Amino acid sequence: MRVFLSLLALAVIALGIAMTLTDIPFGKPKADIATHYVENGREDTGAVNIITSVVLGYRGFDTLGEVAVLFVAAMGLGAVLATGTRTPKANGWEPASLVLYTGCRFLFPLIVLFGAYIFIHGHLTPGGGFQGGAIIASAFLLTYLGCRGRRVHEAWSSAVESLGGLTFVVLGLAGLTAAGHYFLSAFLPAGTLGQLFSGGIIPLIYIAIGLKVGSELAGVIDRLVEESQ
Amino acid sequence: MSFLEDYAYYFGAFGLIFIGLLIMLVKHNLIKVIIGLSILDTGVNLFLISVGYISNGTAPIFCRDDMDPSRMVDPVPQALVLTAIVIGVAVLAMALAIAVRLYQRYGTLDLRKIKELRW
Amino acid sequence: MVSPVLLIAVPLGLAFAMPLIALISRRLPRFVPLVACAFNLIVAIRLIPTVLSAPVIQRIGGFSPPFCINLFAGPVGVMFAGLIALAGLVIAIYALSYIRTGPTVRYHMLYMLLLVGATGVVLTGDVFNLFVFFEVLCISSYALVAYFGDRNGLEAAAKYLIQGAVGSALLLMGIGLLYGLFGTLNMADIASRIGSVSDISVFVPLALIVSGLGVEAAIFPLNAWLPDAHSSAPSSISAILSGIAIEVGLYAVVRMIFTVFGATSIFMFLLFLGVLTVLMGELCAFAQTNIKRMLAYSSIGQIGLIVFAFAMASTISLAGGLFQLLTHTLSKALLFLAAGYMIHRSGSMEISSLNGMGRRMPLTSLAFSFGAFSIVGLPPFIGFPSKFLIVRSALEKQQTLFTLLLGFVLLGTLVEGAYFFRVVQAIYFKKSGDEPASRSLAPALPLISMLILAVLIIFVGIYPQPVADALSTAASDLLDRAAYIGSVLR
Repeated sequence: MRVFLSLLALAVIALGIAMTLTDIPFGKPKADIATHYVENGREDTGAVNIITSVVLGYRGFDTLGEVAVLFVAAMGLGAVLATGTRTPKANGWEPASLVLYTGCRFLFPLIVLFGAYIFIHGHLTPGGGFQGGAIIASAFLLTYLGCRGRRVHEAWSSAVESLGGLTFVVLGLAGLTAAGHYFLSAFLPAGTLGQLFSGGIIPLIYIAIGLKVGSELAGVIDRLVEESQ
Repeated sequence: MSFLEDYAYYFGAFGLIFIGLLIMLVKHNLIKVIIGLSILDTGVNLFLISVGYISNGTAPIFCRDDMDPSRMVDPVPQALVLTAIVIGVAVLAMALAIAVRLYQRYGTLDLRKIKELRW
Repeated sequence: MVSPVLLIAVPLGLAFAMPLIALISRRLPRFVPLVACAFNLIVAIRLIPTVLSAPVIQRIGGFSPPFCINLFAGPVGVMFAGLIALAGLVIAIYALSYIRTGPTVRYHMLYMLLLVGATGVVLTGDVFNLFVFFEVLCISSYALVAYFGDRNGLEAAAKYLIQGAVGSALLLMGIGLLYGLFGTLNMADIASRIGSVSDISVFVPLALIVSGLGVEAAIFPLNAWLPDAHSSAPSSISAILSGIAIEVGLYAVVRMIFTVFGATSIFMFLLFLGVLTVLMGELCAFAQTNIKRMLAYSSIGQIGLIVFAFAMASTISLAGGLFQLLTHTLSKALLFLAAGYMIHRSGSMEISSLNGMGRRMPLTSLAFSFGAFSIVGLPPFIGFPSKFLIVRSALEKQQTLFTLLLGFVLLGTLVEGAYFFRVVQAIYFKKSGDEPASRSLAPALPLISMLILAVLIIFVGIYPQPVADALSTAASDLLDRAAYIGSVLR
């Protein structure tokens, strides 16, 4: 009965959406706003990657909210999973088998380096702060695999998190006071298109986001791993 | 046939959305509901991406100077999906954290048994 | 002139800085929400005279509006922001001594972020940006409902999270359809293009968006989570959820319907929905024996009343709706705060355990009675002029239908009066069985916050005119789509 009613409700929704979709043809050329972004994105923001120029330039405020959402999730996870008595820190951590342990030790710096590359080049190549941060967090996931009981240093990770977020907000407020009185406006010189040192505040924000997301996701994994032991 | 070709991506995206919604409506295990939520999110993201696609388009990145802006796909949905994915991760993390705690308190994840609060 | 973006950026920056502050001293973070809310309150009050003459459009990033996200600081937005800051400040004072156990630093961070999300929703002029800030608001409230980690709190949080997440997915689908139809996300831009496609195509995104936002706004069929979440959360969080979160959800619904879609055709539907919500909320509240669940159902009834007022869509009824919103925020926050300490004292949420509370906690009981009288709509409290405005606007329509529906709403109000008087009677006139009537006061800080709210309730109740005038300007801001579009896209 419940299944039948659910299917019926979904069928009604599907019918409605299908009628709207006839007005949204697939694969046809895009709207004028998107054309504007593609054509002027490079001059306006100095980023070759137009998605980056949308994410951090035209719609930078969304990204600020997005960073806040992730911060909320990390904090909320900590609040929900906080045990009344703080679990005593595991003194020694036991490594897994030699092959796994050595492999993790070898791969860890490489993965972190790769993550850093992704977010530093966010304005030039596909990728950016969130992607790079997720890669860095995966390196920490690997350490849990190779080393049972190993923990992220909580004070350090929350300091990085906090500084990353603050950098974003302060850069935005600097735009408010420096140039043109707009929040998050590009007040640094744009530099030469396609160079590493270009794009004004975009690489700075992406570095901050990358570090923040990396430490946040690593913290989330850390909390959940701790809970399951 | 051309109808199916024109709208194939939409069928995929909304297929995922409805599968996710159906799981959430029908299943009683909290973990399965969370899996349904995850599928639903994926479907919505896929739909957003397919809204911005143009046939034979390229990624909107000027890796060479001679690229044709008119063939680039719409960058806005991609930026939106980036945000939507992060939000999905955040909701998922919260849901799993609550599920872990709920299991510790009740010893079950069956939503029919977790019913102390009534109307 | 101060920029409205400070209302969001500064509290957000402070919230990001809180882990660092906590590293310095674990006692400091709980004062940060006070600072942020006080700052926001000052900024909002300074902005109000400016925005009453013309809305302030803040362009983020400095591009011209359809291409960037813009903040629309109109009278409604800034008043909401001020109200959020005021309620946030009062409840933060209360929480200083109320929240003693658990991960308190994280509590204050999440609390700040909840307020940031709410402020973002009311100020933004972009559909997707609204979604993002809405999620900040929702996710922090899921975590805060589960804050104590007890069985009820976790169960309520799980229900709330599942329903809220489906709502957000529907909202995002609706936004995706809107982007597909119009190729833009700016509210004013969408509003100016809405006539270019057929009605049925617009109706589906409208339905998806309104039902997605309606989950948070607790409109009738979508409010199953509310009584659980509001009654299981810590009392300070119940106050902020009841006083701020559902109002912000309702604001988002109204902004979408009035400004973005201009959907005059669904007002009749909303009118009936509002009346249904009133009756369902008040009747369920009447049947409760748990004081916090009773207050939660009463919130549903109040939301129904506000929806009813908004759906009549005249300047005066909108002003009445906004006024009722103000009433509800102040009075319901006061009720939850007072109930929080009474529950703390008696150790039970049953109404019968409050017997004789008037002698045991005189000031807290007085505050509770003020809140109850104000919600019911007795003079000289703030609830009287707001309900009066709504009644007047319904009678001014001079149609049998409106008068009939108004009759149902007033019936709901009667029921509301009945159950609130029952509680007040229990507090003052019933003898408590167990312990001798020893007097005790709640700690000083909660009393200060209750005092601020009580004074505001009485003060605005006696001098409603300046508030009513400002609100009718705000109402025309909601009604006048052409002016909204013109001021953003000029």
